Amino acid sequence: MALSVMLEQLVWPLAMVFAVLGGGVYLWAVLDGLAARSFGLPQAQSVWLTPLSRGTWLLIQQANSTEAPDLWAWRLAPALYLALAAVGLALVPWSQGWVATDLATSLVLWGSLEALATVVIFLQGWSANSHFALVGAYRYVALGLSYILISMFVLIGVALPAESLALTRIVASQQDVWNLVRQPLGLPLFLMVGLALTFRGPFNLADPRDLAGGTSVEVSGPPRLVWELARSAMLVAFSGIAATVFLGGWLGPWLPGPLWVMLKMLAILALLAWLGRWFAVMTPSRCLSLMWLILLPLAFVDLVWAGVVALL
Amino acid sequence: MAVGWLSRLAMRGPATVFPALGMHGEEALYRLAREPGITLVDTPRHATILLVAGGVPPHFHDSLRRVHDQLPAPFAALWYRSEPLLELQQPGSGKMDDLAALPDTIMDTCRRLMAGEQDTASRLLSDTPPHPWQGLGDDGHGGEGMMGGVPYGRPMAMPPTPDLRDGLALDILTFRLGPFFPLWPAGLEAEVTLQGDIVQQFSVLSAPYPRALPRVFLEAQKGPVAIAELERKRIRYHMRAFFHALRLAHLPDLARRALVLAEQCDSQPVEKLSKRFRAFERALARRGFFALYLPQGGTLDSEQSRTLKGFAARAAGVEDDVRQADEGYRRLGFSVLTQQAGDVPARWRQRLMEVEQSLGLIARAQQKGTVTAVTDVVELPHGAGSADGLLESLLPGLEWSEALATLASLDLAEVSPWPCP
Repeated sequence: MALSVMLEQLVWPLAMVFAVLGGGVYLWAVLDGLAARSFGLPQAQSVWLTPLSRGTWLLIQQANSTEAPDLWAWRLAPALYLALAAVGLALVPWSQGWVATDLATSLVLWGSLEALATVVIFLQGWSANSHFALVGAYRYVALGLSYILISMFVLIGVALPAESLALTRIVASQQDVWNLVRQPLGLPLFLMVGLALTFRGPFNLADPRDLAGGTSVEVSGPPRLVWELARSAMLVAFSGIAATVFLGGWLGPWLPGPLWVMLKMLAILALLAWLGRWFAVMTPSRCLSLMWLILLPLAFVDLVWAGVVALL
Repeated sequence: MAVGWLSRLAMRGPATVFPALGMHGEEALYRLAREPGITLVDTPRHATILLVAGGVPPHFHDSLRRVHDQLPAPFAALWYRSEPLLELQQPGSGKMDDLAALPDTIMDTCRRLMAGEQDTASRLLSDTPPHPWQGLGDDGHGGEGMMGGVPYGRPMAMPPTPDLRDGLALDILTFRLGPFFPLWPAGLEAEVTLQGDIVQQFSVLSAPYPRALPRVFLEAQKGPVAIAELERKRIRYHMRAFFHALRLAHLPDLARRALVLAEQCDSQPVEKLSKRFRAFERALARRGFFALYLPQGGTLDSEQSRTLKGFAARAAGVEDDVRQADEGYRRLGFSVLTQQAGDVPARWRQRLMEVEQSLGLIARAQQKGTVTAVTDVVELPHGAGSADGLLESLLPGLEWSEALATLASLDLAEVSPWPCP
């Protein structure tokens, strides 16, 4: 009895987390390749093979160093970012009783992960002891506060109809209507948080081209592989949370709950891949203006909207 | 066995190339940027191949050695129309002159490196700091308390100075960049002082290499040439400029489209070119090139505009164009197009307007077989003015990304006396 409970509540959910982390990162790379091809960028080989080739190339490549880096911090930062992504994915409920970490405050934990990601990304840029990496780190910290606030407003909005901060309760509250419909501003705003959290597309302030790669300008070989894996893993974790809080998580007809979650995550990832390639990158000042002057007030409107709907 | 399997997998990926451009090396860049099997990277740390394209002046050889040694192993250097560094001049040094064969050579070199059939290049410099440690303090911060010191011969990011925009005291960071920085004109070397993300000082140490123009612009100074041919080359020049800006804007697919359009200029019927150009123009607007990426700054004042000449001057309202004095152009209904703002978006809009104008001129000139009448001076695609001291006054106060966008919008190189190879 105890064994079956352990299997049901610990082993399988954790196995699911690691499987989705690995598979999700790979599928994200494939989706990004497909998006690139759809935008008219020819690929040298199959999009299914490219992530594997690239990964093995980085694995073979030398891990270089810079002059007097903070080596411990530099090597640790990608691993920490990956760990944050794994913790985030552990919060995603695959069905009513199938959650690796089912907390009454799982939404708060996700919020703290977003804040900690800012610290880890800054660490990656600062510890390289290189000017462009440092500027990328500064820029990301400047962006961090604004997107975290937007995320918090949006997530409090989805907690209101559920009257709970637990993700399982939030999914259950969408039995009749998904939050995507109930709070139409929520998902678009949250998608922008996802792009900012993983510094992609228009919100790529940390690793942009004008800084020749920003926080990863000096990184090569396996540490770069871990850093890129971590960025992708965080996006996978983000898609899990987005599918849970806006698309009804495991809810859906005919198919098993976990499959529904995965399909919804894939849809979010595909949308992010497309959005990330469609828009030009923003200048830092324009990005912050957009965040503070437009998106943050919109997030507040979303919260008021959610509160009024919850009261009615 | 496992390593062999990994190597075989790694060999199948695209070759990553850091282009270190010398004089007249741009053709290699434009060729490689269209190649699916090759990825151009912006830092040597992300590359397997160092491509030195074009001649590198001797005073930049030490800089080139430093770039060379930053590539992570396994790596190789290839020299396209360039003389290898003295210590690398040996048989099989990777020297080549054939542009058509360049992509295959790069991919083959990359494959052999991964397979272990070719040894990684050896380092040229010793892995020691360029200057001895001169700082103080147990933790190596370089001075008394938290201040002062010149560790490794470089001043620390001290002391704080007032910000140019809001007066907030922040640390400054001074560094040298170039001449192989791939995100600004080849050959440009500068000492940059950043305060956070803001350029506080910009001192040009070395101007960009002279830019080679298509042969027809030189021929037009000696005798009449077909206006259609001249305008086709002008379009090609502007579309290549878009390639650089669109890469900076994180729009690689549009950057590639700009290059493809540039390459089609010589051969495609003008109707097809016009259609593709209009689609490109619409894509620029839809994808946020103007609304999201381009900064509103980088404005040239009237004196700077007149000195710089060309499309940059016309974007600032200066009606200066040699073509208006040419009888051939007048017969085709040419009139000078201008804008007033003189800032970065205005310069890119000016280029778009002039490309569209050139397409119209080509269509009419082809029908009539019109040739140029004025032969002593030619309106060059990038103007022929002087850019001395321009960047020192234009860039301070801009954010770093805005400064690079401003640089990309200008053509600062002098015109080379020799045509494109």
